[in-house]
Amino acid sequence: MKSPFRPNDAPDASVLDVHRPLIRSLERRGLLRGGLTLGSLVMLTGCDVKRPEAVEAALLAISNLNDKVQALLFDPNKLAPTYPDSMILRPPKFNAYYDVTDVKPVNGATWKLELSGLVQDKRPWTLTDLQALPQSSIVIKHICVEGWSYIGGWTGVPLRTFLERTGADLRAKYVAFKTADNYPSSIDMAAALHPQTLLALQYGGQQLADPFGFPIRLRTAVKLGYKNPKWITAIEVTNTYPGGFWESKGFPWFAGM
Amino acid sequence: MPQNLHLIVALAMTFAAAPALAQSPMPGGMPPPPGMSLAESTAMRFPQPVRVGDLTDRLILQPVESQIILGRVHAVVRNAQGEVSVVMNFGGFYGYGGRLIAVPIDAMVLLGDEMEVVAYTPKQLAGFATFSADGTTPVADDAFLKVGLAKPSH
Repeated sequence: MKSPFRPNDAPDASVLDVHRPLIRSLERRGLLRGGLTLGSLVMLTGCDVKRPEAVEAALLAISNLNDKVQALLFDPNKLAPTYPDSMILRPPKFNAYYDVTDVKPVNGATWKLELSGLVQDKRPWTLTDLQALPQSSIVIKHICVEGWSYIGGWTGVPLRTFLERTGADLRAKYVAFKTADNYPSSIDMAAALHPQTLLALQYGGQQLADPFGFPIRLRTAVKLGYKNPKWITAIEVTNTYPGGFWESKGFPWFAGM
Repeated sequence: MPQNLHLIVALAMTFAAAPALAQSPMPGGMPPPPGMSLAESTAMRFPQPVRVGDLTDRLILQPVESQIILGRVHAVVRNAQGEVSVVMNFGGFYGYGGRLIAVPIDAMVLLGDEMEVVAYTPKQLAGFATFSADGTTPVADDAFLKVGLAKPSH
């Protein structure tokens, strides 16, 4: 039986061939590439699907709108589910944009955390400095955009505490991170101030191991996994959109949960 | 706005924007380079301590994008030379059935709550002898072993 959703006049299938280089360039496998079917392309109303830049602009506009809707729906007081210590996966799952053999361990003795932007006290922080701040522990689920997840136990300095201690402008829009593995990232201030957002120093009660971000990494329960940069070397508070590693390749920026 | 409406709006926007499924331009679980021993291969994979009892029943995957299931961890044993192997069932369906084979633990990596065989292909594993417990002793559940890591292959 013919589907009631199938149009009587099928669109021109050559549209997919015309846009194949663009689709590949998006570097997104799976759902996105599958989502760019002939049907979804022609559903981009008001968009000339024969012009690749028009398709890209339309997708980006939808993604940006998606970010804004998620920001509107975000409840800064709502806590993500937590779990008992017995459910912590030890060791955690490694993931990066390269394999583990390419991890470059950071020397904690010489490491410093640089600060910039809308922060009153821009003194660099050492690991000892951070360890002296009040710590908090959370057992939360790490959810990757790839579809996998695990429960991890993290201890560290609440990012809110750190931002308050350094005199950051908490009305600023963004908190941006630079890392030793060249994985820039950024989150909105509301997520940065959420009680389940940490500058994590420990996993499962032990100092972070090298492949998991020693000496510090971000762990937030309110964002997808790719918004949790490891091996952080600098933090900037800013009102200028900072983007991020995957965001520059087309991933959504807000990535909330 | 009612809670359900929040969900509907969020889902609608999610499907509209079709977020990415993958973030792995570099493959994970690459086999050791030619000439490298299994122990050397593990050493370059930042081996991490894992409780033996926590390995039991884990899925064992082939390091390919489709994450083909090769079997499940049945036990961990040590031979007279002190070498540690993972006894896995191999050749069954979704990790069940098949026969038991012993794979050196240094040929495997941890992938979260799963494992991968990185040093042998399924064809090579098919040539492994069926496991016999003779000359081996089980490694206690509360013992800790160090196992290398890999990023997901998908």
